[in-house]
Amino acid sequence: MILIEAGEQSAEAFEAKMLFVARLAARGHPAVLDDHWLPEGLQRTQRYDAAPYLRQLAGSELDRVILIGGEVIADETLQRLRQIGLPAAAPVVLIGRFESRQGRISAQSRLAYVLGREPEIVDLTEAQPAPLIRGQIAPSAGLTVPGTGAPATPDVRLFLPEAAAEDATALMALDQMPEMRLQVVLPRRAREHLQLLRHIPARLLGLAELPPAPGAHLPDIAVIFGKDAPPGRVAALAADMIASGRAVIDCTESYVLCGGTAPVLRGPRLLAALPDYLRRTVLPNRADIGRQMAASSWAEAHRVDAIERLAGLEAPAAAVQDTRPGRTIFLPTNGNGLGHARRCLLVASEFPATPVAFAAFPSCVPMIRAAGHDCLPLVPKSAVHGAEHANDLVNYMRLRRLLRPRDRLVFDGGFVFDSIQRVILEEGLEAAWLRRGLWQAGQINAESLYREGLFRRVIVPEEAFAELNAEMSFGSHVHHVGPVVGPHPEATPAAVRAELAARFGQEVRELVVTMLGGGVAADRTAHLQMLAALLERREKCLHLVLTWPGATVAPALYGWKNTRVCQSRAAERFAAAADLSVTAAGYNSFHEVLYHRLPAIFVPQMAGFMDDQERRARAASDRGLALTVRPGEMLLLEREVLSVLDGGQGAALRKALADARLPAPGNRRAAELISAEDWS
Amino acid sequence: MPPPPRIAYVIDPRFSGGTSAAVAAELKVARSFGQVEVHAIESRMFHGRRLAPALDKVLDDLGLTPIWDEGTVAADIVVLHNPSFLKFQERMDRCILCRELVVVTHENFVRPGGAEGFDVASCLRQIDAATLALRKVIAPISPANRATVAAWQEGARLPGGWAVLDDDWFNICDFPLAPPTRSPADRRGRHSRPGFEKFPPLDILDACFPAQAAANVILGADSLMEAAGSHPHWKLLPFGGLDLPRYFEMVDFMVYFTSPAWRESFGRVLAEALAAGKVVISDPDTAATFGGGVIAAHPADVDAIVARHVAEPALYRAQVAAGQTALARYSAERFAGMFAARLDAARGWAAA
Repeated sequence: MILIEAGEQSAEAFEAKMLFVARLAARGHPAVLDDHWLPEGLQRTQRYDAAPYLRQLAGSELDRVILIGGEVIADETLQRLRQIGLPAAAPVVLIGRFESRQGRISAQSRLAYVLGREPEIVDLTEAQPAPLIRGQIAPSAGLTVPGTGAPATPDVRLFLPEAAAEDATALMALDQMPEMRLQVVLPRRAREHLQLLRHIPARLLGLAELPPAPGAHLPDIAVIFGKDAPPGRVAALAADMIASGRAVIDCTESYVLCGGTAPVLRGPRLLAALPDYLRRTVLPNRADIGRQMAASSWAEAHRVDAIERLAGLEAPAAAVQDTRPGRTIFLPTNGNGLGHARRCLLVASEFPATPVAFAAFPSCVPMIRAAGHDCLPLVPKSAVHGAEHANDLVNYMRLRRLLRPRDRLVFDGGFVFDSIQRVILEEGLEAAWLRRGLWQAGQINAESLYREGLFRRVIVPEEAFAELNAEMSFGSHVHHVGPVVGPHPEATPAAVRAELAARFGQEVRELVVTMLGGGVAADRTAHLQMLAALLERREKCLHLVLTWPGATVAPALYGWKNTRVCQSRAAERFAAAADLSVTAAGYNSFHEVLYHRLPAIFVPQMAGFMDDQERRARAASDRGLALTVRPGEMLLLEREVLSVLDGGQGAALRKALADARLPAPGNRRAAELISAEDWS
Repeated sequence: MPPPPRIAYVIDPRFSGGTSAAVAAELKVARSFGQVEVHAIESRMFHGRRLAPALDKVLDDLGLTPIWDEGTVAADIVVLHNPSFLKFQERMDRCILCRELVVVTHENFVRPGGAEGFDVASCLRQIDAATLALRKVIAPISPANRATVAAWQEGARLPGGWAVLDDDWFNICDFPLAPPTRSPADRRGRHSRPGFEKFPPLDILDACFPAQAAANVILGADSLMEAAGSHPHWKLLPFGGLDLPRYFEMVDFMVYFTSPAWRESFGRVLAEALAAGKVVISDPDTAATFGGGVIAAHPADVDAIVARHVAEPALYRAQVAAGQTALARYSAERFAGMFAARLDAARGWAAA
């Protein structure tokens, strides 16, 4: 392992270490950071940045130490190095921008005192005499990221200061340029300001959300605005861009980036002038500009391989070409239920030969594996975790290991977690969002839309009824498909009932299935008890309470003779054989009721993070296709159950369902959209 | 009868530790030869620091007032102590006019392994540019220090007209001598300033101060405090955390190893321990300044040396006697003789 250390232990130095370690790691070196120095009050985004590199160090594991910012070495850094106890054979490289010979001697001596041997010195005043910004702690280590030729629609990343949000008109104009694909990086307050103005650029990011190193993807053009020198993260990215032959445009007020010898274009300081400048000057000459940048002597000195040579690192062996075909990784974000995962499975079942794999929370893993797919288990939230995002941090690490650059990610969920955003950005993955069409009032807001720009495709499996489909966002990347719904089970009701009779040792003349949720969004114990009591009085009636892993089940339910609680991954099979289903109105169960033509009573579940189940249920019951009972209407529920079982309502529902005209299912279309070779 | 010689000292009087203590002792001797001026330079090296207490006291005792920031230093002989105080600047803002300039090198020019100890050439260049003298000499303070000057000269040159003095401009060690204990025990200690250069790596400290020792007292251990938890058998005290007499009461052996990348140029702390009646063990380079008075050893040998001297109190006493005899070489009288010879020589060049 190669330990990356900094002379001082400030927040700036930690950021510099992170930028440097990420580049060496991307290059293939086993570079790590000492978790002893994790700063107090580290921001959430920084925790994600650092997680892949932090180690609890034992000195004996280290092959080399590289200390950056060596012009000032704090006592605490020296004490820590002495405490770690480096192996005698491990070289130590001191990298600094030494302003005098004495400065260099002092730094070398102090380090030698604690190491008991001399460090190797890299003096950046000689190796990189013209840094992009002054005061840069880490050396420039520009990564050469292979391009994909000259894409017809280049990615342009625009770095803006807070004040730029006031020029929203110019930003809107840029966002509408068809010649490019714009990504805007803005400080948080500016983003909030734009939200007030109701203008959200299609692709919007915070600076802290950018990964410390670019991974497999770089924008084709970076445009940097601002009053002074940009932050180190932007400067590091600019070095990657130059090393990779991509255009960097300096639009800062003092032209801080293009004032030296770095091959940086001088752009307009006014945002409003940028579209013309891009159209007339940069876009037509993009390839030539890139070639000149990559071939410059500045690029030569500021590439990661230059600093690698100076630091005595052997260039890593060229990575073996990964010839494995890209996979499609489905990532449903169920907490306890199975809905998103089931929808993904239905789409995956329509896939052509493309390899498919899953990453999912534990409640879904058995179901996914039973369907024959590999599944990486993710960690769900827990009250016992130290931080709110602790589980997502672990998931981020797991997803990093799972995903390869040519993979595609299909996310199915309501909120795009940090882990998902990061892996998409880091690996430059093509990603699709399988997003519901039905939202509660107030759920469609800027916060929900903010991360949509990460996805090349948004696929909306529609609701069966048009009024339920909300247009959350627009654009050629949004594709609406028919409802994703499973096929009608093959087994006949008689066969299923016979199976249940054998399983429970009782004749099943009447079957009622209840699926009221896992007890997370709402407690349905009273409803289940009421139904159990009601159905206990009926002869040869089986009341099947279907739950799933992690669901909360009241022990008293097990005391009834006619009521049986069981977990099943094939709920639709039992529902199809039932005289009545009493069910929540989640997407899958709702559409299975409609498409499998099953008599059902919906008891909607409502929670802030869920879709609008009551509207969905009412849409069916208003059409006479189901009955809806609100959770508080216990007596009505009892009456409706009896009306279906005894009062002929069941037959009426079946007839109405048989006559209903429903849109064609969208399973195959969703699969086609995801598996299409070209997503542009 | 010739007029008494004019003697000037050029120093940054804020050096802590050995340099200021050595200058303080030397001023007392120089004062007996003639008129002494002390020119104080506020170098960048010690920005914001106060006058070294040992020097402050002696200046007060001798009725000398340091002359700060006055442009010209004129004397028969000018002694500039420890040129390394100029290492963080490019120009010495003084003019020195004298018959002989003696630059006393308290800091080694090169470190073990050959790396330069400080930017020697820059410091000497500043002094050379500021001085008009008949003769300019480098004065090493010990054989070990002299060897580093010679090593530096292998890769660099002294400015034109400079020479290296044949005699060592040694530290005056006129400490009161204490007798050795009659019943030595395995009570070990070391004292120094807390700088990283003064301490070896932890594995060497572990060998020198083991758990089986009856006492391990480390004075000046500011940078080692984090090791306290893992080394309950060490008594770690910050620099200045204990008076030296009290510290010496707690130990019978001084075990003194520095970072392998650094060496004492003289070893004043060793001299203090010898005078206090202790057996002193150190690395061969550092021990050489005191002949056989300090036992030259490697860290791995320390346990056996201590055990032998604990088992044989007569051997212990003989070793302390040898150490205190070695100190006689660094007496004030001997220094006065050397100083007088320098003054005579300086006047001789003027006559010539």
